[in-house]
Amino acid sequence: MERPLDRLIYLASTRDYNSGIYYHDGLAAQFTEEVASEALADCHRQAFHELLASPLKDLVSQFESYMESTPAQPKDFIATWKRIEPYRVAIPVNTDPLSADFLFSNFKIALAVLEARLQSHPKAEPGAWPLPSLGQ
Amino acid sequence: MIQLIFFLAIGLGLFVALYFLMRPAASAQGSADELRNARLALNALQTGLLSGEVVHRIFAKEDLEYISEGPVEIRDMFLAERRRLALFWVAQMRLQILNLRKFHLGSARFHAGLKMRTEVRLAAEFLFLLFTCRLLWLALYLRGVYAAPAMVERATATAERVCAISETSLGFLNRSMDSLRNESVRNPTLS
Repeated sequence: MERPLDRLIYLASTRDYNSGIYYHDGLAAQFTEEVASEALADCHRQAFHELLASPLKDLVSQFESYMESTPAQPKDFIATWKRIEPYRVAIPVNTDPLSADFLFSNFKIALAVLEARLQSHPKAEPGAWPLPSLGQ
Repeated sequence: MIQLIFFLAIGLGLFVALYFLMRPAASAQGSADELRNARLALNALQTGLLSGEVVHRIFAKEDLEYISEGPVEIRDMFLAERRRLALFWVAQMRLQILNLRKFHLGSARFHAGLKMRTEVRLAAEFLFLLFTCRLLWLALYLRGVYAAPAMVERATATAERVCAISETSLGFLNRSMDSLRNESVRNPTLS
């Protein structure tokens, strides 16, 4: 997975909600459960830091690509993400409050950008704003 | 009558002596709390609040340039969010700096062999930093996130210097923890 956002979401999904331990059968069979969990946790933290360092334009582009990779309709995807805010449970444990708050804030803005784009121009270059209409 | 006053004075003297003898136990507990709070404050500053990537991104103008290409409502939302984050950052930084200052005012001299010159410099840095945080908060609140980039840089640089000195002051704590850890590895019954 190239995009940090995809990795963040995927790695968060391998983590048990109750214990905070990461599970991956393939890796656990090859190494041990403990080693696999630690490796996944490291990758999760790395993906999180890459996302933190991403400019907003890049984040919007990643969001758009991620949205297109899911079977959900863009409109439904945005509505669900705005309502449920699944990104809140996708960050690594022991993340400091400022970093977490910053990423959540960027996600919120990126979703607003995508929603605005979708309303005015259904298909555009990734991360780009739509061209202003003649009336603007 | 004079004898009574004399014995009362002796009794009072003993009471005062007893009070001062009892004090170290209470301050030892307070000192442990101060040490713990100082360590937590230092961690919060070094791993979160002074972490270059987050601070840089909060105040990065390239995000504003990108957002400004779109609708005004989203630009306003972006500016409000960035201002909220910037205010949170300053408030948290001030809080952790106050925790560190409490440690230095209280028990740092008992644990760290800081030179008088370093202590005076540190006191000046604390004063400057707390004043800068107040000013910065006001500037961000009144004029938004891009109001005082130079002040943000100065505050961050001063806070990093204060952290470096505090790290030295708290270094003995790390050494004690390391030796305890090594001891428990050598002798597993200790853990």
